[in-house]
Amino acid sequence: MKLGNLIIAGIVTGSIYATFAVCVSVWYRVSNILNLAVGDFAMVGALSVDNLYRVRGLPLPAAIACTLVVVAIFAWLYDMVVLRLAADGRGRAEGIVLTFFFTFALSFFIDGVAKMLFGTDVHAAPALWNGQAIAVANLHVDRAGILVLACAVLIGGMFWLYIRYTLGGKALEASGENAVGARIVGIDTRRYRRLIFVATAVIAAIFGIVESPITGYTYLSGATISLTGFIAAAYGGFRKPGRALIAGLSIGILEALLGGYVSAEYGDTVMYAILAALVLAWPRGLGFESAVSG
Amino acid sequence: MSRVPLFGPSSRVPRALGPTALIIVAGGLFVVIWGQQYAGSVFVLSACYAIVTAGMAVQIGFSQQIAFSQSVFMGAGAYGVALLNTHFGWPVLVCTPVVMAGSGVAALLLGAVVTRASGLALAVATLMLPLIAVGYVTSAQYLGGAVGQSMPGTLWPGSSSAAVAVGGGLVVVAFLAVAVFVAARVLTSDIGLELFALGADERTAASMGIRTPRRKLELFVLGCVFASLGGAAYAGTQQFVPETLVDPTAELALLIMLFIGGRRSIIGAVIGALVIQYLQGASSWVSVNILVVEGVLLTVVLLVDPEGLAGILATTASWLRARAPIAFPARAAAGAGGVAAAAAVSAVTWVGAGVAGEAESDSPPPKRGDGAGDPTVAASSAGTTSALLTVAKVGKDYGGLTVLHDVSLTLPARGLFGLCGPNGAGKSTLLNVIGGSVPPSRGQVALRGADITRKPPHERFYLGVSRTFQAVHLIKGRTVLDNVAVSCLASHHSSIVTRIGRSRLAQARAEASRALDDLGLAGIKDREVSSLTLEAQRMVELARAMAPGPSLLLLDEPASGLSEDQRHRLAATLQQLGTRTCVLLVEHDLDLVAQVSERIFVLSEGRLVFDGDPATFRASPIVTSLLVGL
Repeated sequence: MKLGNLIIAGIVTGSIYATFAVCVSVWYRVSNILNLAVGDFAMVGALSVDNLYRVRGLPLPAAIACTLVVVAIFAWLYDMVVLRLAADGRGRAEGIVLTFFFTFALSFFIDGVAKMLFGTDVHAAPALWNGQAIAVANLHVDRAGILVLACAVLIGGMFWLYIRYTLGGKALEASGENAVGARIVGIDTRRYRRLIFVATAVIAAIFGIVESPITGYTYLSGATISLTGFIAAAYGGFRKPGRALIAGLSIGILEALLGGYVSAEYGDTVMYAILAALVLAWPRGLGFESAVSG
Repeated sequence: MSRVPLFGPSSRVPRALGPTALIIVAGGLFVVIWGQQYAGSVFVLSACYAIVTAGMAVQIGFSQQIAFSQSVFMGAGAYGVALLNTHFGWPVLVCTPVVMAGSGVAALLLGAVVTRASGLALAVATLMLPLIAVGYVTSAQYLGGAVGQSMPGTLWPGSSSAAVAVGGGLVVVAFLAVAVFVAARVLTSDIGLELFALGADERTAASMGIRTPRRKLELFVLGCVFASLGGAAYAGTQQFVPETLVDPTAELALLIMLFIGGRRSIIGAVIGALVIQYLQGASSWVSVNILVVEGVLLTVVLLVDPEGLAGILATTASWLRARAPIAFPARAAAGAGGVAAAAAVSAVTWVGAGVAGEAESDSPPPKRGDGAGDPTVAASSAGTTSALLTVAKVGKDYGGLTVLHDVSLTLPARGLFGLCGPNGAGKSTLLNVIGGSVPPSRGQVALRGADITRKPPHERFYLGVSRTFQAVHLIKGRTVLDNVAVSCLASHHSSIVTRIGRSRLAQARAEASRALDDLGLAGIKDREVSSLTLEAQRMVELARAMAPGPSLLLLDEPASGLSEDQRHRLAATLQQLGTRTCVLLVEHDLDLVAQVSERIFVLSEGRLVFDGDPATFRASPIVTSLLVGL
């Protein structure tokens, strides 16, 4: 039953990577900017709820609502001020790497602020669904894990419906295909960039809140989640949310299996080595060419 | 197919002697005076990081090969020195070259695999190196695990602590001076120009004979060796190697130093390291909240100038020069006015000099029909018996889609040949197959009877194949002369290491200068390319393709984006080229093609559907229905 349990644990972490990977790739399609700060929003969400609830004594729903609102406002302001200047301003930053460095700076900034506000200890948001792990035929599933999966399915499904069936989704597709062309036919790509940026920040925060009871976060946890989500997005060529989803899930399962069967200490090291080897062996198949060529 | 650049345009070419002298004098004085104090120790620490960022400027900034391998190799250098010193008692100064050599070999092996990837794939693949390294180091007991590794030895083995601090500091300054000198010498050499070309566009660089795989590997090794030197200096002066030296945050911190200082400036890279270390050293608040400070600083600097602090300094300097009343006028205008001033002078296009004194811009050039009687053309095309280029049954599939169906054609040694077809007919693919940037699925390409089907683009260039691409790919920030000189370099078979001593850029520039004179572009030699009009930029590309005296010239839509007048001038130039060499011209402008070509091929849905002279071409019903849409 070890295998089954490992796979379940893998699917739970994998669904987080997958969600973040989808966030990165959907936003990349609209903005042409790679976002390395998604995981940091998750970390901030978890630590802030914990702080408001445990230290300041706010009721849990208020703490969550407050956190999400602050995250949304911050993301909106960041887009309005920094991204606007960086991507639309007079001295428009050219090239993916340069704009990428803005989100990179953002990640540093968020981590630093979190360190200032919440300290360096491991914290977690209070569990939303209390009780023992649910056992079905020797398989153990954390209640938080079930919540994570439910969130992933719900949010993923909503995203999919939005992109597939609404005018906004079509506009989003169009901006991703060709930003200039989309702008010419009257789609405000900047608005979608802002919308998706705020949405991904809030989604990440929700995931942080839901997942943190399982692993616990420090102010530095965001970077690791970001990197893994980012790598999963890379396997989808940064432009294919569907592939990013599968990649995220597979990375989660691989991580759990390697941790369980190969070595708890070196499991991650082996996993990253495998992932690096995959990129090198099959760059075109993983969509890297399309990520670079317009 | 337009490619998203990884970075924007580059702008400045570094100088070698000035910065090196500055570092030796200023750094040396600083260490001698303040070496035993806190300020001095912070300076030495930042110099260790500056050695690493100087290498990053060459690899990441100028050549745009983004590899996240520096923190790993800095760690390798530091741990290597610490282990050798602790276990074998070797002096640090002996350990350092040994560790650098070891890192070089390791980088060569790793790079041979990693640098096969390019662009984002390279970045993502190497992004995992710090993740792998930190996982390993944390669990490796012999490296001290998460605690870190301390060592007894010091970089400069002195008896007193003062001697150790000052001596060690001076050694680090010397290391940094060497690093900056080597980096700047490489960048100013002919291979440096290759690296600029590689940074501008890898595919174009390969088509101009630059052996991109080799250069990328050399850059990777260079970056790693610099990093290990920085790491060795770090271990030798700090006497302790923390595990955090190799983790992803350290890698990101190095990148932040590079980007804050200015990624395309060696001295900027040094400034970046100094600024970050001093900020951390200056106040404990900054040191605790370094993440916030770095985040804000990086955002602000990038918003103000993507070229970082070095860019801001350079802009300020040229602004001051422009304001100074005694400033040399031409230089001040060029420096301060930037694009605006350059646009004002852009009236000085190549046209001013006349296209080899041949075309009058207002009267339409002679029709091809008349030109057929031109004795030189007739003689040259009749006089060649053996074929220069033979394309035999070439096919190309992308997945399940076949874009070329057994295309065959033969071209003689001289003449101008047109290749037309509707969008998606496979014209560019055919050109890419001939140029070598796309391998065919079937068939054979031969040059003067020798099979070149499997040869990479740079080798085809050595055999005399030269080309332009649909989109203009010039090295922004360099002059017209340097851009043309890229195709005249004789450095392709040399290694980067040989360029620290000597450079033969002057020779390439002389050749480029002749090519520019030849096309009547002498007037714009010293202009920076991004200040040119599109027409002039295309002419520069043409000059670049012509400069090495190719036997086969492949032109991909040279007229796109040009006005009617400009097309006429281009036609005249093309006709002239056709008398000297074999030109295969892919073009949408049917009039232009019919006017300049002696024979025209038409591709449709990957098949050759027409092959004949311009008169037949104009009359052909296939052509009319396919291309004119009647």
